[in-house]
Amino acid sequence: MNIMAVFRRTILRQSGLRKLAVLAGAGVVLSLSIQSANALPSYARQTGSECASCHVGGFGPQLTPYGIRFKINGYTDSDGKEGKIPLSAMMVVNSTHTAKDVPDGDKVNHFNNNNNTAMQEASVFLAGRLTDNIGSFVQVTYSGVDRTYALDQADIRYARSVKLGDKDMTVGVSLNTNPTLTDPFNTLGQWRFPYTSSDFNAGFGPAAPKVESLGGGVMGVNAYAFYDDSIYAELGLYNNLSKKALNAFNTEDQGKFKGVGTYGRLAYFKDRKRDNFSVGLLGFSADIQPDRAVLGVADKYRDVGIDASYQYLGNRQHIFTANASYVREWQRLNYTMLGADDVHNTIDQFRAAGSYHYDQTWGGTVGVFDLRGKTNTSLNSTIDEGTGLVTNGSISGRPNTSGYILQADWTPWGKEGSWGGGWANVRVGVQYTGYIRFMGGSTYLDSEGNERRARDNNTTMLFLWTSI
Amino acid sequence: MKKQQIAFVLCLLAMLSGSQAWAAGDAKKGADVFAEECGDCHSTVAGKNKKGPSLNGVFSRKAGSVADFSGYSDAMKQSGITWNPEKIDAYITQPKKVVAGGKMKYDGLGDAAARGDVIAYLMSVK
Repeated sequence: MNIMAVFRRTILRQSGLRKLAVLAGAGVVLSLSIQSANALPSYARQTGSECASCHVGGFGPQLTPYGIRFKINGYTDSDGKEGKIPLSAMMVVNSTHTAKDVPDGDKVNHFNNNNNTAMQEASVFLAGRLTDNIGSFVQVTYSGVDRTYALDQADIRYARSVKLGDKDMTVGVSLNTNPTLTDPFNTLGQWRFPYTSSDFNAGFGPAAPKVESLGGGVMGVNAYAFYDDSIYAELGLYNNLSKKALNAFNTEDQGKFKGVGTYGRLAYFKDRKRDNFSVGLLGFSADIQPDRAVLGVADKYRDVGIDASYQYLGNRQHIFTANASYVREWQRLNYTMLGADDVHNTIDQFRAAGSYHYDQTWGGTVGVFDLRGKTNTSLNSTIDEGTGLVTNGSISGRPNTSGYILQADWTPWGKEGSWGGGWANVRVGVQYTGYIRFMGGSTYLDSEGNERRARDNNTTMLFLWTSI
Repeated sequence: MKKQQIAFVLCLLAMLSGSQAWAAGDAKKGADVFAEECGDCHSTVAGKNKKGPSLNGVFSRKAGSVADFSGYSDAMKQSGITWNPEKIDAYITQPKKVVAGGKMKYDGLGDAAARGDVIAYLMSVK
């Protein structure tokens, strides 16, 4: 569990809305915890291609056009040889230092107030071609921080090629556990930079658009089409998992959907071989009753986003990429803020990243994150009813959180002729997260009511990420 | 000169200029072209098949004949092609025109000089 979850649980302890807000926060945390994925050697073995064919920098998850097509084709492309076993495994170990010790109330169970080393996750995957037209990406993860197993993510899809006029079109259907998990571009929630982040990091704000924070608590059926190698369209319907399924998968409860959640995606992609770009639109709508024990009116979430990406690949020796997305969410919190004068809220989230990789081995990435929202002390602060003063959380009542991420990494394998070609890959890196604002400003009140600077949460993480 | 004769001479010149492009290709530049255009699906390492077969030793090879590659289309196996520079030049210009029904998802490389370079590179690979 991320310290943000602990933080939220603590600061909201005195609030009448505690339980609901914790549920909301858990979604954010879950979305953080499952971001890291995945360069999978089972796909390399299946296709005969090296990791660098599908992934920028020789390690996942940032996809090249070849990787984009592999995903859209349902993970089924192969070198024609039978008998490939679609199994892989992955492990992430990291060591995290935070600029200032976190208070006891924000500490992660079993770990220290600072300078923590953890086997953050160990995963096994069912990943690859199951039949000529069906393939999978299913990840089960043991978290060395939470110390639990969970179905981290699942995307099982059917895809085939058809002709529309004189143009080729790939059509498919995906059964999956998360909106944006199915997306082939690296601009949206599930697959954008940072591709791994520490569970001891304070996260990227106390809230995130619902489309990016449902984690594995839902199941969706998505139909998609990729026309003439250029136009990508997807429509998905999502519903919450049952309690029984949540227990079986050990995933976070996202509440009960009233009706179904609707996810839509439209993007234009142009692959010019030497370089490529995409521009896209995103939409999501869901009405959710956060607490299944007390159903009633639903909170309404409406998300609209735009995104764009560019990659210069050239002869693969010098690779530059840029990704950006902006999502606005309109919330009508009929349930969470029942009885309040104004139940409307908004979130604006901007994310961008630029990277350079040399020889598909040495990489550097700069990312920025910016979350903004309306002033809302019910959601973002705890108020002492007697004095009317903020005792925890955002002093301004806003969730605003912004900062930057710097990462340098080394990926010695993953290229044609590399040691362990097709069987193993590894990335070693250092990542620094700097905060300009956290919980509404340059300072906020921590779980013990003490003023804490945003930059006190600045985090340095060393990581080792390996897969077989 | 009659119009037909003029057209014939122009076609001949075009064919010759195409042939000269690969004959005068730059293998070093061709390695870059290969990386940009072909390398995701093909290797030049002997015996290394990807989504497409290894292109090591492709010249004088019968189309669809790499023994341990089973991903060929019937159209490719039955094309009767024996690969030489002219055939490869024509194929990578418009794959679907040379092997209708082939599996290779590639629209073609319109730049004759780049085709010449990549053919020169393939010829240089041992």
